[in-house]
Amino acid sequence: MDSFTAITIAVFLPFVLAGILPAVAKLLKDKIGWYASATALLSLLMVAQVAPEIIHGETIQGTIEWLPSMGINLSFYADGLSIMFGFIVSGIGVIIMSYSNGYMSTKEDLPRYYQQLLFFMGSMLGMVFSANTIQLFIFWELTSITSFMLIGYWRNRPMSVYGATKSLLITASGGLFMLAGFLVLHAITGTFDIPTILHNESIREALQNHHLFIYALILIFIGAASKSAQGPFYIWLPNAMEAPTPVSAFLHSATMVKAGIYLIARIHPMFSGTEAWFILVSGVGIFTMLLAGFLAFRQTDIKGILAYSTISQLAYLMTMYGYTTHEEPGIGVAAATFHLLNHATFKACLFLVAGIVAHETATRDITKMGGLRKEMPITFIVATIGALSMAGIPPLNGFLSKEMFYEASVEMGHLLGGPYTILIPALAVLGGVFTFAYSIKLIDGIFLGKRPTKGLPEHIHDPSMVMLAPAIFLAGLIILFGLVPSIPVHNFIEPTVSGIILEEAHLHVKLWHGFTTSLMMTIATFILGILIYTQYDRIAEWQNRFNAMFPWISVNYYYDGAVNNAKDVTFKFSSRMQPGPVKNYVIAVLLLTLAMFAIPAMMLGTNLIPQNLNFDVPLYEALIFLFMIVAALGAALLPRYLPAIIALSGLGYLVALLFIYLQAPDLALTQVLVETLSTIIFLLALVKIPQKFKEHIPTTTLARDLIISVAVSVMIFILLINATQGIVAPFESLSYYFIEKSLALAGGHNIVNVIIVDFRGYDTLGEISVLCLAALGVYNLIHSRGEDE
Amino acid sequence: MTTLITKTVTKICLPLVILFSISLLLAGHNNPGGGFIGGVMFASVIALTYVAFGLDYIKSFFNPDWGNWFGFGLLLAALTAFSAIAFSHNFFRSAVEFVHLPFFGEIELVSAGLFDIGVYFVVIGGLLSIFKNVGDDE
Repeated sequence: MDSFTAITIAVFLPFVLAGILPAVAKLLKDKIGWYASATALLSLLMVAQVAPEIIHGETIQGTIEWLPSMGINLSFYADGLSIMFGFIVSGIGVIIMSYSNGYMSTKEDLPRYYQQLLFFMGSMLGMVFSANTIQLFIFWELTSITSFMLIGYWRNRPMSVYGATKSLLITASGGLFMLAGFLVLHAITGTFDIPTILHNESIREALQNHHLFIYALILIFIGAASKSAQGPFYIWLPNAMEAPTPVSAFLHSATMVKAGIYLIARIHPMFSGTEAWFILVSGVGIFTMLLAGFLAFRQTDIKGILAYSTISQLAYLMTMYGYTTHEEPGIGVAAATFHLLNHATFKACLFLVAGIVAHETATRDITKMGGLRKEMPITFIVATIGALSMAGIPPLNGFLSKEMFYEASVEMGHLLGGPYTILIPALAVLGGVFTFAYSIKLIDGIFLGKRPTKGLPEHIHDPSMVMLAPAIFLAGLIILFGLVPSIPVHNFIEPTVSGIILEEAHLHVKLWHGFTTSLMMTIATFILGILIYTQYDRIAEWQNRFNAMFPWISVNYYYDGAVNNAKDVTFKFSSRMQPGPVKNYVIAVLLLTLAMFAIPAMMLGTNLIPQNLNFDVPLYEALIFLFMIVAALGAALLPRYLPAIIALSGLGYLVALLFIYLQAPDLALTQVLVETLSTIIFLLALVKIPQKFKEHIPTTTLARDLIISVAVSVMIFILLINATQGIVAPFESLSYYFIEKSLALAGGHNIVNVIIVDFRGYDTLGEISVLCLAALGVYNLIHSRGEDE
Repeated sequence: MTTLITKTVTKICLPLVILFSISLLLAGHNNPGGGFIGGVMFASVIALTYVAFGLDYIKSFFNPDWGNWFGFGLLLAALTAFSAIAFSHNFFRSAVEFVHLPFFGEIELVSAGLFDIGVYFVVIGGLLSIFKNVGDDE
């Protein structure tokens, strides 16, 4: 199998197998989770198959033509960055789906859960391998939608719904900004193809000197920041913790929230090396890192602490990718990439532990826990490894990448000079101090100290291996990466870094590298961290008091206000725009059409009516027209419903007859059938309503309706005579093309049908989709009415 | 509405119209007809049956979920469109094949015909699901 096929399979296999999952679930019942895990494993194997080529420094690119005439294709691109993400997504996917077998109760709706997880995994893989910005956007929004559904998995809990809505509103609208950014990028570079921009130095240079550069950067960055919960957009991630814990571990710590980081790394070669990049990416990064690390203190929910820590850790990555100067565009790239991998391991591990603890103690409130080390010894060890890695304690992998972060910060500060020489490293250390403090809090609060006398179940124990093994595996990786950093560095980090800085990268990461500045900073972090930890509860209390005093100093305050306002406004707007009677809508549509007609009509003036009109109508046609007028008058004037309906259908059948004379059998047939069906529907409705028009229509309304009808009729009349024999430039009739090509290209004699199913098949596909949606809409309208009452 | 006349006429019409609608569907590529027309015809006669005999009475022995019909139709149509990609052609590229069958003689098989069958099912399922939902609503 060639590499491109392997990637295509890795992306689409989860979608296909998720599609048939409900059917498989009927066979496997409670074991369906293993089917999902196997699917993830297959994707992982596909990614692994491609990996050796990438490690050797090659890239893979391929295209499946989609709409070649429009330049829209399905294309995949794999370099170190996408392969590393591919491994993280599918690898953590296997771990999470296996773990879910123990975590999710068999009473839950398991098929829906695993189906959405697989859809998510496929979307995420599709996104990281996309070679095309539009395709990247589509997969990007798909991850937002699947995340929305998974956060709202427990549909009956108001907080789940709130969290799901919030995440969708923020990440999906951020995605729209990103799309706008991609369009600006297209306007500058003239291509949607990512590798083309990456591998063409002249395009990149032109981009950086273009006056639209800054707009493209800001728009794309908003997309990345909203997805990765940076800056003011961080507010959705804490609420996303309403999702089942495996989902939080998968989407909201290890993979989906890293999509923004992926995007930043992906566009790094295009945008870095500029001041704007540093100010925007590192600036927002440092700000978020400190804010989120600080706010983590206040959290009492263990998943809440982890959520804020995730925001803060993602901000580390942002900050490092943002370190740049003109001469050296990628100062922090190696550090960021290594930390990205490490964060995926230790944070997923900690989330799994949080899930285990919540599963066994039936609470997530850290104030109610303590002293669990004796009852859950294995969980305790795993959690300690994860938390100490996050805190940056040697010899775990978090220590290594934290050191690299400090090193990069020192270098960046040094290159900027002036006060920044001290400021940037100092802020980096402060971020580390907060991380250290809440990492220790997790261990201390859950496992150390005294067991509270009440609030916890009597018998707490380590869970089954189904849940424990994935966490132990991740803890093993943490130690392995820490002790033997060359394994991840050679296989993942170096190819990725080469892909980002676009030159061969050789890194030397060692556990012991002498008494460097960064080691001093680490030691300072530990000392300050321990000092801050002694004041942990007081800081948290102060934050609570502050929050109670100034509720308006919070992004959530404005988010809630805006969303509630929007609800009120849209409610008022729609109740005014849609009062109910169909007549109002028809009048609105007709008046708008008239207005559109009025503009060209006024410009044309008396030329509107063509001169030499040909009114040579055969006798039989004239007769049909006469009957039609009679029928139309009958439909309008008859006082009872039944005769009026019969007159109306008579009119329809006469039109059909006319079509036959005009040699359009398909149209005639359709007209007859639609007329028949609507007559049947009328008759059905007629049974339920009074037989006579009861309401008395006031004269003014009647006059208004009459004027509108006459005006519209005149307009249609003028348009038609213009179209058939008027001044409208005589375009060559389209019919000739179809008459000529129908048999040759589509093998059909019936042109109408060939147009529907072949030449304009895409339209038809859209139309039948609309019909399906309409049917579903009617179903929902009718069946949801009862629930509101 | 449930008079003897409507009932009798409907009984005679039902099988004939269904057969005719299928023939319209299959003939559509070369003669007047096609999935849309055939579908509307099928839907009309079922709707007529619902009206003539009453929805509740029909439902007691004939109660298909029309939602499945349009779901199937849309899937079939979309798969037909996508299948071209599997043969390394563009999306929606159609194929024509002539086959000889012993009894029927030469028959033209077109991939667009499969698409048309999808349209047929969507039209039937969509119209009748709307019809039934609205009619069921008390």
